[in-house]
Amino acid sequence: MTPFTFLFQKRIRGFRLAELAAFFCLTALVLGVYFSKAHAGGETARIGDVDDQITEEQHRVRLLNAELAHLEEPARIERLSQQYLGLAPIDAKRETNSTSLMEIARAADTPAPPAKVVKAATPPKPAPAASEGAVR
Amino acid sequence: MSPVDFHGDYREPYGPLQVWRWLTGRMWSVERAFERAKTSGRAVDDTRLRIFFVLAIFALAFVTLGLRATRAALFAPIEAAGREAAPLAGARADLVDRDGRLLAVDLTHYGLYLDPREIWDTNEIRRKLLPVFPKLAPERLERALHAGRREYLGGGLTPQEMQAIHDLGLPGISFEEEAKRVYPLGATAEHLIGFTDAGGRGLSGAEKALDAQIHEAAAAGEPVQLAMDLRVQAALQDELLKASDKFGTLNAMGMVVNIRTGEILAMSSLPDYDPNAPGKSPIPNLTNHEAASVYELGSVFKAFTIAMGLDTGVVNIDSTFDVHAPLMSGGRLIHDFDKGDSTLALWQVFTHSSNIGAAKLALMAGPDRMTTYFRRFGLLKAAPSEMYESARPILPRKFDDDTLAHMAFGQGISVSPLALATGYSALMNGGVYRPLTVLKVAPGHEAKGVQVISEQTSYTMLQLMRMNAHTDPRGSGHKADALGLRVGGKTGSAQKPENGHYGKNNVSSFVAVFPTDGPINADRYLVVVTLDSPHATKDSFGLITAGWNAAPTAGAVIDRIAPFLGVQRVITADSPTPNGPGAKPSDIAE
Repeated sequence: MTPFTFLFQKRIRGFRLAELAAFFCLTALVLGVYFSKAHAGGETARIGDVDDQITEEQHRVRLLNAELAHLEEPARIERLSQQYLGLAPIDAKRETNSTSLMEIARAADTPAPPAKVVKAATPPKPAPAASEGAVR
Repeated sequence: MSPVDFHGDYREPYGPLQVWRWLTGRMWSVERAFERAKTSGRAVDDTRLRIFFVLAIFALAFVTLGLRATRAALFAPIEAAGREAAPLAGARADLVDRDGRLLAVDLTHYGLYLDPREIWDTNEIRRKLLPVFPKLAPERLERALHAGRREYLGGGLTPQEMQAIHDLGLPGISFEEEAKRVYPLGATAEHLIGFTDAGGRGLSGAEKALDAQIHEAAAAGEPVQLAMDLRVQAALQDELLKASDKFGTLNAMGMVVNIRTGEILAMSSLPDYDPNAPGKSPIPNLTNHEAASVYELGSVFKAFTIAMGLDTGVVNIDSTFDVHAPLMSGGRLIHDFDKGDSTLALWQVFTHSSNIGAAKLALMAGPDRMTTYFRRFGLLKAAPSEMYESARPILPRKFDDDTLAHMAFGQGISVSPLALATGYSALMNGGVYRPLTVLKVAPGHEAKGVQVISEQTSYTMLQLMRMNAHTDPRGSGHKADALGLRVGGKTGSAQKPENGHYGKNNVSSFVAVFPTDGPINADRYLVVVTLDSPHATKDSFGLITAGWNAAPTAGAVIDRIAPFLGVQRVITADSPTPNGPGAKPSDIAE
């Protein structure tokens, strides 16, 4: 008896071995598909939740970006900087480039020539401390 | 036997007929096997074979179904699960400037709905809903309460407003998401950006010009990038606002263009409006005068006339014109503002802004050349921009000598400042006429254009512009000569036609270009400032001409935007302009 004919001729409690084998295969297949579907369904739901969260976060990011753009509106920044910091567009004569910075620094370090001493007819009054800087 | 083997190795090609024959042959073979088993007295084998055969077919079918089900369960794409959120109807992509700064955005708002069938205490609805949602008219609420079906009460609710209404816990109230276009910068660049209706359809500016593209980009989740530089736009708008206040203009408008690429970096028109609530602004404020209004722009047209003369070879830069006496044309005398000149070279016709010289040049060239070149510079049609507002010019009924003489210095022809800027771009960029665009041009990409004048003529015009703003002490554009930025420019002061004749008001224009040095095809910027009906001030010595209002405004704009555009100041001994701030009217021609 070949294994093949054994499969069809062997009976267990009246059922052929082949029929039992087919039944177990089918059951395993059904269960496998069921669990796979159930698992996939759970994963899909989780992905959906994450998608919803991403969408929600994207809405919030867009809202924040819009708010940021509103707060950084150039006219508003200019108005506030003038009002609270006294800033203004820089004069063209005070602009320079990086290569000229050394020359500016050198000029600033060079001591100013001493001022000529003029003899006054009357002794000069001591200058207030706050105006000392004005000599330069 | 045939001497020829007709069959040999020949095989019929496979086709449906062959497959069918093979299948029926195999079926017949199986059937014959059953019959053979029957005739040989083994009927049981016959039944077994049949059962086995049916079982095998069923098993094969189940295995196939199982495999397909497993594959579907494990490897189906996520989209198939139907969880992906569909974009809201009419969704529009973000608009951003050339550096990605946000200009316009769709934000999720909520529409409010009421279903009276679910309400048993209508007084509660009236009492609680109206104070929380004051935008809702009581009459509308009453209509909805008696409608007998679900009704839309209003839209545009912010998440906070929606939550406040939701927290009331009222029956019959529901919400639906809807996109609302928001312009976070308010009245900054509003004419260039434009606005939409409640259904997400562009109504003006880039919103209308790029409507289809914005919808497509929304579907792809990409922003639409404009050529605009927000920093440049803010500086232009601020200086125009100052000029408008100072000179009491009816309208003030301006734009900044990269003439190599044709990109519109900034465009402004005053008075302005808030695009978040355009209905609350007076209708005239909604007009983008830069594109949608046409003006007689005066002497700025002399550049086109002189370029025509040079390019056709009718004159050269040293050709002279007798301007000592007014010229009679079309029953009107053509005068020069700068009286006292007798003979002017062509370059002086430009820098002294001689109407007589320009008119004589037009008459020398004749109607064919004049109309050909004016057509090439796009002055005889609406500026070919994406902008829907681009207005058609008002042209003379016929192009005879009289009309040409006046057109030569910008009288009798009305064009939009946008058309003027497009024509000037061709004059200054090496002679290539190309439409100006509100869209950012990719680096290295250059839009196609048409060569309308030679590079040499373009270069000469560039030098003439520089002379007018710097080199020639009697040039009219000195007040625009920002320190070290090599500015060139041309003024235009045209009387406004009012009630059928020229009145006291004028339209002052200044077209500036910088830097004027460097290769002809380098990045170079055009600043156009137009002031409609400016008034005289103490600083302008009682004058209302462009050299005293539009030119200093353009200069102030250039001073502020040059660092943003990467134009370095080159300060030399002759950098300060001889007739800059502090100059008197007698020093400056018009």
